Amino acid sequence: MSNRLAKIGVTPKLSLSLSRRIIQCSMNKHKIVFSAKQPSFYSKITEIWEYRELLWMLAWRDFRVKYAQSFLGFAWAFINPIVTLVVLSFIFGTVAKVDTAGIPHVLYTLAGLCGWTFFASLAADSGRSVLTAQGMVKKIYFPRLILPLSKTFTSLIDFGIVMLCLAILMMIYQYPPTIKLLWLPFFIFLAILAGIATGIWVSALTIRFRDFQHVMPLVLRVGMYATPVAFPASAVPEKYQLLFFFNPLAGVVEGMRWSLLGTNDFPPYIWLSLGILLFLFVSGWIYFSRMEQVIADII
Amino acid sequence: MKEVVVKVENISKKYQLGKSITGDLRSTFSNFFSKRKKQTASTDFWALRDISFDVHQGEVLGIIGGNGAGKSTLLKILSRITTPTEGMVEITGRVASLLEVGTGFHPELTGRENIFLNGSLLGMKKKEIVSKFDEIVDFSGVEKFIDTPVKHFSSGMYVRLAFAVAAHLEPEILIVDEVLSVGDAIFRAKSLGKMEAIAREGRTVIFVSHNLSAINSLCTRVLLIEDGRIKEDLKPKEAVSAYLYNNYKDKINYQSAYFKIAFLGESQSFLHDESVKFLIFNLDITRKVIISLIINNYQQQRLFISEKEWNPLVKKWSLKIPGNLLMEGQYFLEVNIKEPITSQFIDKGKNVLSFKIISRPPELEKYKVENLGIIRAPIIWSHG
Repeated sequence: MSNRLAKIGVTPKLSLSLSRRIIQCSMNKHKIVFSAKQPSFYSKITEIWEYRELLWMLAWRDFRVKYAQSFLGFAWAFINPIVTLVVLSFIFGTVAKVDTAGIPHVLYTLAGLCGWTFFASLAADSGRSVLTAQGMVKKIYFPRLILPLSKTFTSLIDFGIVMLCLAILMMIYQYPPTIKLLWLPFFIFLAILAGIATGIWVSALTIRFRDFQHVMPLVLRVGMYATPVAFPASAVPEKYQLLFFFNPLAGVVEGMRWSLLGTNDFPPYIWLSLGILLFLFVSGWIYFSRMEQVIADII
Repeated sequence: MKEVVVKVENISKKYQLGKSITGDLRSTFSNFFSKRKKQTASTDFWALRDISFDVHQGEVLGIIGGNGAGKSTLLKILSRITTPTEGMVEITGRVASLLEVGTGFHPELTGRENIFLNGSLLGMKKKEIVSKFDEIVDFSGVEKFIDTPVKHFSSGMYVRLAFAVAAHLEPEILIVDEVLSVGDAIFRAKSLGKMEAIAREGRTVIFVSHNLSAINSLCTRVLLIEDGRIKEDLKPKEAVSAYLYNNYKDKINYQSAYFKIAFLGESQSFLHDESVKFLIFNLDITRKVIISLIINNYQQQRLFISEKEWNPLVKKWSLKIPGNLLMEGQYFLEVNIKEPITSQFIDKGKNVLSFKIISRPPELEKYKVENLGIIRAPIIWSHG
């Protein structure tokens, strides 16, 4: 027994004390009430917290399946962004010769890709999450929001890989990070918010309209060019600037690059991006909650 | 009376018929515009209507009813997979349902990993899985393969492992939908076993089944559901015969494309020593066939079968089941017509007639016997 438990990281002594605690836990019964009425926002949040172990398990499963099983494993996670990087910097750097204020174009583009790939992989994975889990959804109750939320973890790993590439490139070009790096967590938060907000909208919409499965990759492909990944936002003509920043990812990507490379100025309209993202997230949450009620009937 | 653990109040569930809610954008847009011109008729279908009942701690509640009566919808609401359109449910204690065996198993993951994944989907805490891990593996009997991806498992091993996880759940309330698990005999037998064990421990079980003998032997109380409403709330034995009676009363004196059948005489109740007589007539068949006659009891257990080669020249048969053969109870007659050589069914008539045997020999009437068995055996008792 101890041998087998040791493999999953638990000592016999610990497991004994754990089982004692389980007995205590099951003593206090909890009561669930549910009806046609939608549960409150607060009770949703606490419920997701109660299901945090499941959230973690699903994230861990995705990680195992995505990285640990394929032949090249982690290598694929590097190949993808590197190929994109080569293509983008060839088009925008070598052919179009976009002005990047003296920063090597490869570095500039990769710093932009950090924010974009994080958002795109999170949005795509979480957008598909409910549909691919329909077997579970039809048979077991759990807060459905766990499905899109659980995708954050694998996307964070994708993000970490691109960051690693960037760190290597920054060392090669001798481009040390500045104090602005302290802002990075804020922009990571924005990227998660953007990915999740898009993801819950799309996953709820795909339940009713299967078309969104096909719409999503298209939007992401076009979106990459509508976002200043390989070119600076300042390259967009002045009169279109405000319009340009209505794409909240413009702010997120520019901002992340600003904090990573210390490019000239703090992205304008970042508060507009934040506002739009918050709106998307809240409306997505509301729509998702409404769909959650009927999900098993119509999926 | 013990504490109420499940309280169901005025539950209704509406589905919309004839209109798929999922679909593509195009049809949604066209629906939107056509709605403006004329109201499209969509029919509301109430799968459940105004269901209310309480389940007390330790009860084993059976739910029976015909196909489409709303049994499975009710279970889905109780296990929170879907929400009711109206009404409220209050549940005290942890619920687990055996609808969910093997759900979330990922073929690429190993047996060990799937135990953890599936366990936490079923609502076990990680600590709990860790503490029961060895028991689960022993119970499943796939110890040797526990670190092999389950895609390499045989289907039997897969089911055993899946069931082992579910069997180590310790719910206060267990929900079982046997109707959904039709076809997997091992699993069905196992879930029945698990149910019995849980019921014996005094925990609460809610059980949907078409297996009337299981209902009869396990349940302490039965809800008979018809057209989405609770028709009756009964003791198991009464409920089972009420269910059968409701389902088949209209089919008595049955006819099909090939034959008609009727009792000889008015009554459908017979004394223990009376023979049961009926006619098969209007035989509309021009070649030789085999006709088989099957008697089932109220639990739909087959008691015996009698077969006859049927010559097209004969247009009418009268049949007689002799007296002193069947015990008291409700019986159902099944008539099948088959091709002589291939045994292919030409016609199948299930429960074409129903009759009742009443009263036992008068000298035994005063003794109360709970379980009479199924046949009236002509045992000869003699001295020395």
